[in-house]
Amino acid sequence: MTSSESQEKSQEPTTVPSSSTSEASQPQDVQPKAKVSSSDMEFYYKNLLPFRYVFQWLNHSPKPSTDFTMREFAYEFQSGAYRRYNSFDSLEDFKESIVKNNPSRFEVGAVYEINPRDRKSVPKSKMKPMEKELAFDIDLTDYDDVRTCCSKTAICTKCWKFITIATKIMDVALREDFGFEHIIWVFSGRRGAHCWVSDKRARQLNESQRRSVIEYMDVLKNKGTKRLNLRRPFHPHVQRSIDLLKAEFLDIILNEQDPWADDQAAFTALLKFPLEPLNKKLKEYWIENPGRSSLDKWSDINKICTDLSLQKYDLLAVNETKEELILEATYPRLDVEVTRQMNHLLKSPFCIHPGTGNVCVPFDSKNVFDPTKAPNLHQLQNEIIGWKGDNEVNDINRTSLKPYVESFGKYVTNLLKSEKNGKREREDESLEF
Amino acid sequence: MNKQHERTPQGSATKRRTAGRKNFDTAPTIISGKNYLSSYLDDCYHHTCLSLYQNPPIGEIGLEEFEVWAIERLKILNEIDSALKRNKPFQEIELIVLPMLNKSLPLILSKDQDKNTENRRKDYYSHFILKLCFSRSAELREKFVKCETIIFKVRFESMSGVEQRQFVQHMNLPWEYITSAEKAEMSQQLYTSIQPSLRFQLNLTDEISRRDYFEKEEFIKIPFEYVPELISSRSVFLKQGHAFVPKFQQINLLTLEFTGNLQKTLISTSHAFPTLDEEDRLIPILNHLGAANNFLEDDSVFDELMNSEVNSVTVKSTKITRNFPLCASHLMDGLTSAHHLKYLARKQFSLFLKWIGLSVDEALKFWASEFTQTMGMDKFEKEYKYNFRHDYGLEGSKIKYKPWDCRKILSQPRPHAGEYHGCPYRDLSKDSLKAQLKSMGLKDEEVYGVLEINSKGDPTASCTKVLELKTNGLVNEIVTHPNLYYDRMRVYHKKLDDTEGETAAEAES
Ligand code: SF4
Ligand SMILES: [Zn+2]
Repeated sequence: MTSSESQEKSQEPTTVPSSSTSEASQPQDVQPKAKVSSSDMEFYYKNLLPFRYVFQWLNHSPKPSTDFTMREFAYEFQSGAYRRYNSFDSLEDFKESIVKNNPSRFEVGAVYEINPRDRKSVPKSKMKPMEKELAFDIDLTDYDDVRTCCSKTAICTKCWKFITIATKIMDVALREDFGFEHIIWVFSGRRGAHCWVSDKRARQLNESQRRSVIEYMDVLKNKGTKRLNLRRPFHPHVQRSIDLLKAEFLDIILNEQDPWADDQAAFTALLKFPLEPLNKKLKEYWIENPGRSSLDKWSDINKICTDLSLQKYDLLAVNETKEELILEATYPRLDVEVTRQMNHLLKSPFCIHPGTGNVCVPFDSKNVFDPTKAPNLHQLQNEIIGWKGDNEVNDINRTSLKPYVESFGKYVTNLLKSEKNGKREREDESLEF
Repeated sequence: MNKQHERTPQGSATKRRTAGRKNFDTAPTIISGKNYLSSYLDDCYHHTCLSLYQNPPIGEIGLEEFEVWAIERLKILNEIDSALKRNKPFQEIELIVLPMLNKSLPLILSKDQDKNTENRRKDYYSHFILKLCFSRSAELREKFVKCETIIFKVRFESMSGVEQRQFVQHMNLPWEYITSAEKAEMSQQLYTSIQPSLRFQLNLTDEISRRDYFEKEEFIKIPFEYVPELISSRSVFLKQGHAFVPKFQQINLLTLEFTGNLQKTLISTSHAFPTLDEEDRLIPILNHLGAANNFLEDDSVFDELMNSEVNSVTVKSTKITRNFPLCASHLMDGLTSAHHLKYLARKQFSLFLKWIGLSVDEALKFWASEFTQTMGMDKFEKEYKYNFRHDYGLEGSKIKYKPWDCRKILSQPRPHAGEYHGCPYRDLSKDSLKAQLKSMGLKDEEVYGVLEINSKGDPTASCTKVLELKTNGLVNEIVTHPNLYYDRMRVYHKKLDDTEGETAAEAES
């Protein structure tokens, strides 16, 4: 569990529409319609959560294997209690334990050499994680300096664009650069997304290799806390990201979020040119003409450059800095530790976010996902109650959860197929769900 | 390996005489004719001048060879270690090490097959013998890996391109050189990925020479898992899970492989010589290994020191204090300004002084002359005299206390304000250290050099550098003990005084 997530529970959800946002699209709150009770959760675990797919996704085969049985699960309870090192022998065992314990959510950890249940009987050094999905975590709270439409826990379709572009950038790098294929994105239930890579090769990475992957991806270095000091020419991954981000920058930052209409914010964020006269002139100009929009300020840069009649060489430097500003504003802001540590636990897909009641549904980076329309537990319950169709239909299929479960099912089937091809030696097993 | 009782010189000598010639491994010996050995080694060296030392050594080795070979290699390792401690860049180390290797452990192939085998035997066995010696502690293991990796690198760089390729092919790594067609196809991405390294690593400052280099460079295709460092820094192009590594980075891949291998096998090395009663054979080598650390075991050093002219008065003269390492000067400064030292500082300094030849009577006079400037003589006699006599083994358990070495000094609690024990290279702020170094007579650029070394966090490395600078580069010994520092400085100054005396005499005549 990340610390930001633990904080969010105590915070009253609030939405603060920015004065500069156009009135047309008010932030839509993904907040609880009502509190999720423990009986709601029990109902959900019993009738809706697609355990079989989650099991197969982690097991990589229809029959229980050590990929699942030696894997750690953690429970978090409404009381705040947290129980680590649970493990299960089968799909049935898995479902039964969760229904019985009824945690407010459960998290997925690594596969260990020793069954996590038995950890007390072995020395600590033996509890070494062997394999785990490669995971990434992006959260909108890390975008607060460029996010004006909402703040704190609130999100809307506008600021979700940061996540959408992040998933696109990550997805293409994971596929084209690292050659991974089995990549799924999961809505965290409130204002972020997790990415899970299930390729065998990804699961087998050790910590220093995981670190290398995240450092490769983490162009901003720890959510931009360190100075961006990129080498030129840009590495192909950075160049490709810049190309993707340029269009989004105009749309998301300059037109919609407009974070630099605030003059102070603009001074801090924009005056980073390696030419002091330019910084000085810009600042003077913005002091004389306060409150210019981000779009205006961005074009002011070129204007002042012309005024100063900068040489070709200097203009090159200005353009390079502008590219870095685009990266700083829009490049994915990643939580490094989630990716690096093998024993890090992450909330399972299809859990209910305890604060919002939203289902943590998986989505595909290729299709547009709208978090404000994500299924919510109460809504699902109403859909079942209000079901007028065929009585034979099971609960999932009576609800708007159905398409998410189906597409996750397809994804898992694919994963199992390629896993089986990898394992060629096994005789043909039918993949029944 | 608890064979302490056999460590006495006599015991080992008799054992060694009876031990005679021993086999490294009995099984292969049966078939270990000259030809077998020669082809076995040929394999271990991939038909080149380089080995990963993965297979155990086979065949007979004489006692004489065992000892001599190991010590010759040890000398090279020590040279490398001291160069590393003094922060020498690889190019400089290479200049020192390559001639040594060519002299004592040559591997250059000649037509004479017997000679080749003999050279390889020496290199192979000496590596394994030392591996055994160095497997004893984490610290030694680390040193061994570092130094052997340098040897590996130096040798690799000295091989021809053809040999390098041959060696790499035999390593059985999932590598592949890409074809020029493949290179052409992704030339843009390959170039932008490595351009910064060409610039900063290979110091190709202009675009034309970088382009030139790139055109000639070959690229290796390798699973990205093998090169985490290059991935982290985005120094290579990645495509479909493969990293495309320029050949000039190849040595990094190889050393990574070499180091990894060595680390893995070091701990299990004691099993490498199954039939070897190794302890008695290793003793002379182990003694050599520890030589720098326990130079004080040698009583003659102490005797000589005892005859020195250090007394309660001269101990404060520059003739003596110019030989002090910084910790001792710092203690002296503290004592003469405060006329007092707290317990740890007293202990550290009193034992140091004892071992530079200050007798107990002179020591008591010296301490009293300082302490009584702030207290009465009876207080000194009552509260402090016992302590100092104790340090000389005249009170209490009457143990002949050894002066503290750097490690002991560094393991004590750190000094608070107003305390003077410890090691100034660790304990002083950068500014006060800078001032101290200046007052030791170092030039500005020397001061910055030392501060730079010091920022790496190993105080004895800084002290080693200072010793080197203060002796005009003549003493390259690693400082492990303030008294060793003192002794080397004393000898240096003595020689200097002697030659100065001579030239003066010559001038007069
Ligand atoms: S390194 Fe050793 S000798 Fe040098 S100052 Fe520190 S403690 Fe003294
Ligand atoms: Zn928003």
